[in-house]
Amino acid sequence: MDDRYVILVGRWVVLTLGVFWSAFPIFMVVSSSFKTHLDIFAVPPKFIFQPTFDNYVLLFREWPQFLDGLVNSMIITVGATVLTAITSLLAGYAYSRFHSRLLTLSAFFMILVRMLPPIVVTIPLFPAVNAMGLSDTHAILILLYAAFFVSLATWILKTFIDQIPRELEEAAEVEGSSVWQRLVRVVLPLSVHGMVAACVFVVVFAWNEYVFALIFTSNEAKTAPLILAEISGAIEGVQWGILFAAASVQLLPILAFVLLVQKFIVTGITAGAVKG
Amino acid sequence: MMFEDRKWLPIILISPVNALLALLIALPSVYIIWLSLNQSTFGSETTFVGLANYAQIFSDPIFWRSTINTFIVVNVVVYTELALALPLALALNTDFVGKGLVFSILIAPYAVTEVSAVVMWRYLFETDIGMFNMLLQSFAGFQLNWVRNPAHGLTLISILSIWIHLPFTLIILYSAISTVPVDMKNAARVEGATEWQVFRTVTMRFIMPAVLVALMFRYIFATRLFAEAWLLTEGGPARLTEVLGIYLYRAAFRYHDFGAAAATGLAMQMLSLLVASFYLYQLYKRMQADG
Repeated sequence: MDDRYVILVGRWVVLTLGVFWSAFPIFMVVSSSFKTHLDIFAVPPKFIFQPTFDNYVLLFREWPQFLDGLVNSMIITVGATVLTAITSLLAGYAYSRFHSRLLTLSAFFMILVRMLPPIVVTIPLFPAVNAMGLSDTHAILILLYAAFFVSLATWILKTFIDQIPRELEEAAEVEGSSVWQRLVRVVLPLSVHGMVAACVFVVVFAWNEYVFALIFTSNEAKTAPLILAEISGAIEGVQWGILFAAASVQLLPILAFVLLVQKFIVTGITAGAVKG
Repeated sequence: MMFEDRKWLPIILISPVNALLALLIALPSVYIIWLSLNQSTFGSETTFVGLANYAQIFSDPIFWRSTINTFIVVNVVVYTELALALPLALALNTDFVGKGLVFSILIAPYAVTEVSAVVMWRYLFETDIGMFNMLLQSFAGFQLNWVRNPAHGLTLISILSIWIHLPFTLIILYSAISTVPVDMKNAARVEGATEWQVFRTVTMRFIMPAVLVALMFRYIFATRLFAEAWLLTEGGPARLTEVLGIYLYRAAFRYHDFGAAAATGLAMQMLSLLVASFYLYQLYKRMQADG
């Protein structure tokens, strides 16, 4: 047996197991959301069955707040993404085009801060957020989600802006445009890919986040993962179908998004890991 | 005018990002030190108590149990991920039909919220009816009794955690492996090296920095473990599957003992910074050199 044969078989085995490991739990929950409660725990498991939408109908009838949760998640995700994109573009531009001791220090500060565990900041923030009337608002989650992703986003954007030739900006400068005009007219259009790479992570995080939402929302601003956890906690016996329907509704849009932008995720994680 | 522009402009540009970081992360993280020396409810009306909070948590067996649980789960999770991601990354390092699809499926768990991941794995391991528990029962004669048995609970928490975070490790290793020069591997082959020798002497040496960075990031992120464990067992039974994140959350938001929570938080911070210190030091030196 030569090496090439062993490698070929090994590769096939490893990838098959990997695909099964990653896909099976997702597949089971999404497919079971279309099963009747009798089929959900059928032994042996049913892979071919008559699909039903009953679980989805029941979900929105019994848990109308899940829809509110989805709307809140949408608002917060868009808000956190826009805030991250704008602030990181400005900072990424500064770190790319200017150099000084102060900038180096603040770049290091950005990376250092990223190492701190998020749950710890909830302790001092909790009373402060209450005092400012920000508890249970979209705003506090938008601010927090952006805060935890601006350093990665800034770093990714800096690497992209580094590749935009300064000559393009200098030409605009000669024509008498201000730095803000150059940012909007020259840098922004050329760093669209960088913006996507910088923002995918905050999109996924904001849509899926649980801990901050648990601590800082109680009613009005509850996000979809939080309602999902409530449905999960309230499940009695035969209600698994509703839970699966809710999990599928929450998952499918973000899964589609992740698969669509997977190239940017690879670029971003690599850039972020190498440079911080 | 131009000079003023050059001087103040970068500071104006970086200030929104730095304000977010300072107000929401850095200042609260430092303020924890003060809070940990005080007794307070909901973090206000503080009374200075010196090191009493530390004495309290260090003499609490549940704190140590949480620390040990965190230590075990983090190490199991981080090294299992590495052991799974490395062969996958190697297997992906070639062109074949359907590679894009395979890669998409492998990173799909990255899109899943911890809440749904708990739902998925509970479904598979539900006592007496979950598919994987039924398979375990018929092939090994036992079930993963994660509700009642703390060791089984921690096992399922680890499995969940590995499942969610494997894509991150895989992506870092895959990127690193794809940058190993084919020339170097071929040169080794020409000199008669077996594939195993090529892997050990060329590939492994080349990707070692990436492996270390992946390990460090995963150590730091894994130490934050909260949602998976909280949603699966809430630290039960009898607080035996608690991890540091849960210990902190309970102290702060269930018992309203913000001093003890802050002391725990500071311990978690120190742990993360300790793991990151070597990386941060290297990075600082390089940034100084770059100017």
